Amino acid sequence: MAIRSRRPGAKAALLPVLLTGALALAACSSGGSSTTSQSGGTAAAKTLVIDTSFDLKTADPGRTYEPTGLIIGKAAYETLLTFEGSDVTKPVPALAESFDLSGDGKTLTLKLRQGATFADGSPVTADDVVFSLDRVRDMKGTPSFLLDGVEVAKTDANTITLTSKNANPALPYILPNPALGILNSKVAKEHGATADTGDKAEQYLNSASAGSGPYTIESFNVSSQVVLKANAKYWGPAKPVYDKVVIRNVEAATQKLNISRGDSQVALNLSGDQVAGMPANLQVKKTASANVIFLLANQDPSVSKVTSNPKFAEAIRKGVDYDGLLELAGEGSVQAPGVIPSMLLGALPPEAAAKRDVEGAKAALKESGEASPTVKLEYPSELTVNGLSFQPLAERIQANLKEVGITVELTPAPVTTALDNYRNGKEELGLWYWGPDYPDPSDYLAFLPGKLVGLRAGWKAGSDKELEAAGDTTAATIGDEARKQAYVDLQTKLNASGPFIPLIQPSQNIVTAASVTGLEYHPVWTVDVADLGAK
Amino acid sequence: MSPTSVPSKDLKAGTAPRKPGRTGRAGHRSPLVRFLVRRVLTALLLAVGITLVTFVLTNLVPGDPVSANLGQQALGDPAIVAQWRAEHGLDKPLPEQYLLHLKGVVQGDLGMSQQSHRPVLDDLAEFVPATLELAGVAILISLVSGVAFGVIAALRRDRLSDHLLRVLSLIGISVPTFWLALMAFYVFFYRLQITPGSGRIDPSMSPPPHVTGLYTIDSALSGQWDVFSSAVGHLLTPALVLALYTIGLLTRFTRSAVLEVLGQDYVRAARAKGLPPRVILLRYVLRSALVPIITVAGLAFGSLLSGTVLVEAIFAWPGVGQYAYKSATTLDLPAVMGVGLVVGGVYLVINLIVDVLYGVIDPRVRLQ
Repeated sequence: MAIRSRRPGAKAALLPVLLTGALALAACSSGGSSTTSQSGGTAAAKTLVIDTSFDLKTADPGRTYEPTGLIIGKAAYETLLTFEGSDVTKPVPALAESFDLSGDGKTLTLKLRQGATFADGSPVTADDVVFSLDRVRDMKGTPSFLLDGVEVAKTDANTITLTSKNANPALPYILPNPALGILNSKVAKEHGATADTGDKAEQYLNSASAGSGPYTIESFNVSSQVVLKANAKYWGPAKPVYDKVVIRNVEAATQKLNISRGDSQVALNLSGDQVAGMPANLQVKKTASANVIFLLANQDPSVSKVTSNPKFAEAIRKGVDYDGLLELAGEGSVQAPGVIPSMLLGALPPEAAAKRDVEGAKAALKESGEASPTVKLEYPSELTVNGLSFQPLAERIQANLKEVGITVELTPAPVTTALDNYRNGKEELGLWYWGPDYPDPSDYLAFLPGKLVGLRAGWKAGSDKELEAAGDTTAATIGDEARKQAYVDLQTKLNASGPFIPLIQPSQNIVTAASVTGLEYHPVWTVDVADLGAK
Repeated sequence: MSPTSVPSKDLKAGTAPRKPGRTGRAGHRSPLVRFLVRRVLTALLLAVGITLVTFVLTNLVPGDPVSANLGQQALGDPAIVAQWRAEHGLDKPLPEQYLLHLKGVVQGDLGMSQQSHRPVLDDLAEFVPATLELAGVAILISLVSGVAFGVIAALRRDRLSDHLLRVLSLIGISVPTFWLALMAFYVFFYRLQITPGSGRIDPSMSPPPHVTGLYTIDSALSGQWDVFSSAVGHLLTPALVLALYTIGLLTRFTRSAVLEVLGQDYVRAARAKGLPPRVILLRYVLRSALVPIITVAGLAFGSLLSGTVLVEAIFAWPGVGQYAYKSATTLDLPAVMGVGLVVGGVYLVINLIVDVLYGVIDPRVRLQ
């Protein structure tokens, strides 16, 4: 039997009601203030909020290699050379006022610009440059390969020479990488920086920057947000527009709501579907990214007798419906004619891209001697590239190849697991992507036999001597025009006989508030915060 | 509550009086103290077990942390790979790695995170307060609302309010937290524009000076009332979303526990003696009903902690859930171990508190 008294129940009922009411009131007032602060007021007008899905490990330029880290590095540090806007075909001076590559491509001479200063007001010197570049190379952090075999020397107070053992025409394209940002060596050394593996400066450089860039690091957290503040002593002609830039780690779905409501001004990771219905007051920039998604067919017969058959790769190349993949990837995506993305020197023209030819694919399969083969396709299950998941791509490829007579068993795995098989060259068929380490075609020599990606496809050195020789010649070629042609020829050969089937370059969709100006997508650092202005 | 105050309360509650001989031989310790010591020792053993299980499971994952942490070109350079392995102690045999980790834990060193390159303890000190603030407010809302709703539903059994609360609690239990989080964010932030966006405070504000790491408390301590208002505003929606499941759970369990006690003879006797309904409810009914409620509250706190991972992701809440997710996806062993230890530790503490509360509320438990 229940107690039928109203008093206790009535009081108890009041409690949650009052609580909920109080919470709602507080929420309303806070929500209101947040909106106001974003739309008006002096302080708020100078704060820029960028939402992105963090891929960030450090703010130490010598160890930075993740997309979010490169955005921060680009804002806080300056490099000897840089690129203007999104044009990566022509390096231009930055901290160096001029540069000259010797005729044999082995020596790069740079003249240091006068008047450049660090955030503490001290001048940028040749000693700072030598220390910074030596440090990157010798402390064996992730980006140290950028300067592998490069000797850095100060010729005089304003001249630095970078000497390579072999011709290194890519060096002017490598130097703009924010990982090669110049540190204030005095400050860095005071906090444990050394040009060897014993370097201890990372913790300091994760809390305060020591660069000459237009912004400095106010706070840094690898999982939640990074706050940049304007460098009050910035030496360059274009002063930073925003007093404060907050870069937040936000999931794509939340990014969309934040920017639509005005809580953020830039959203970097929206997929093609997500940008489809954006409000008219927002700017949507869709650019083909520099990430090339490709298939690999393992050439090692001990891994697969089917995929190592040269005609099998041809059957796949002709069997894939590239238009269908582009439809999946959304507007702004383009087909990749070769492994080198469209914006880089030496990229194949769009008309050189493979086209679907089901009958040709069936004929190639017949020539391979494999009747109705079954192969496993491995790919990272949870990885997305520019908002595009690998799962639907793999399913579409499976359906395409079924029409040709190839049965594809999908074998997705978490990226950390899938990477192991990929790295060890154990995948029968693999679906992966490659983003440029630096915007120079020489980065793609890794796809040749015996090289990094070639080995992942079981393509050992000596497997295709003609192609390997062409690779060596191409690597040593000097001069833009000659290099362009050499890389076009090399890719044509690679497409004809190699184990790689370049598929697409998904679109990088960047949404900005109407008030934001100057945004350009960059294949290396995604966005240059210093370029962003306000209407 | 001090242990000495328990016997008189026990007698008041009409439970069995303690026999004088029972405390004598075990080193002059009261049953409650012995009970506590036993529980703490068990908790310590469990903590070691947690570190072992976390370590083994993390190492069983088929994947190489090097692949997860280095860039593609860097992976091709054996010198960089070797340097990275040595830096993170991965060049040592697994048993040695575990023993070193255990030694570190005892010395208060959880190792260096491979993703943040900072001591894991520093990372946790930064992320745990954010989650505690969120989970703490959520559990507070849950306890107050869940128990109140459960009592109301029991007292008004089979009336409209009872039916309504039962339906609401069912919804709270059934709706997936991540969906609710997305919907709450979409409706209240985007459509109705009455709640603030993601994060802990407005992005144009600076966090309050660090005292506890809880923004609401730190901002109040420093007198930054605009930051306080922003922190409370940002906290409410995710906390309510997190709380909904536990509110539903507690409502249902409180209702059934109260209904069961209401049917007991001593409640009838109390009513027959003419005691006021309020006294009967608070002293006789609620106290007896508390044991199952506390059990559920303890379990609910655990599920609430696991729920924070998705809620933190959707609300961009910089808590331990986001840290755990990132650590797991990059096979950051020290960080995963650190998070495992903290979450396991919280579970152990909650279980310990629940066990102790059992003993305090029901003397039969500590006498067993």
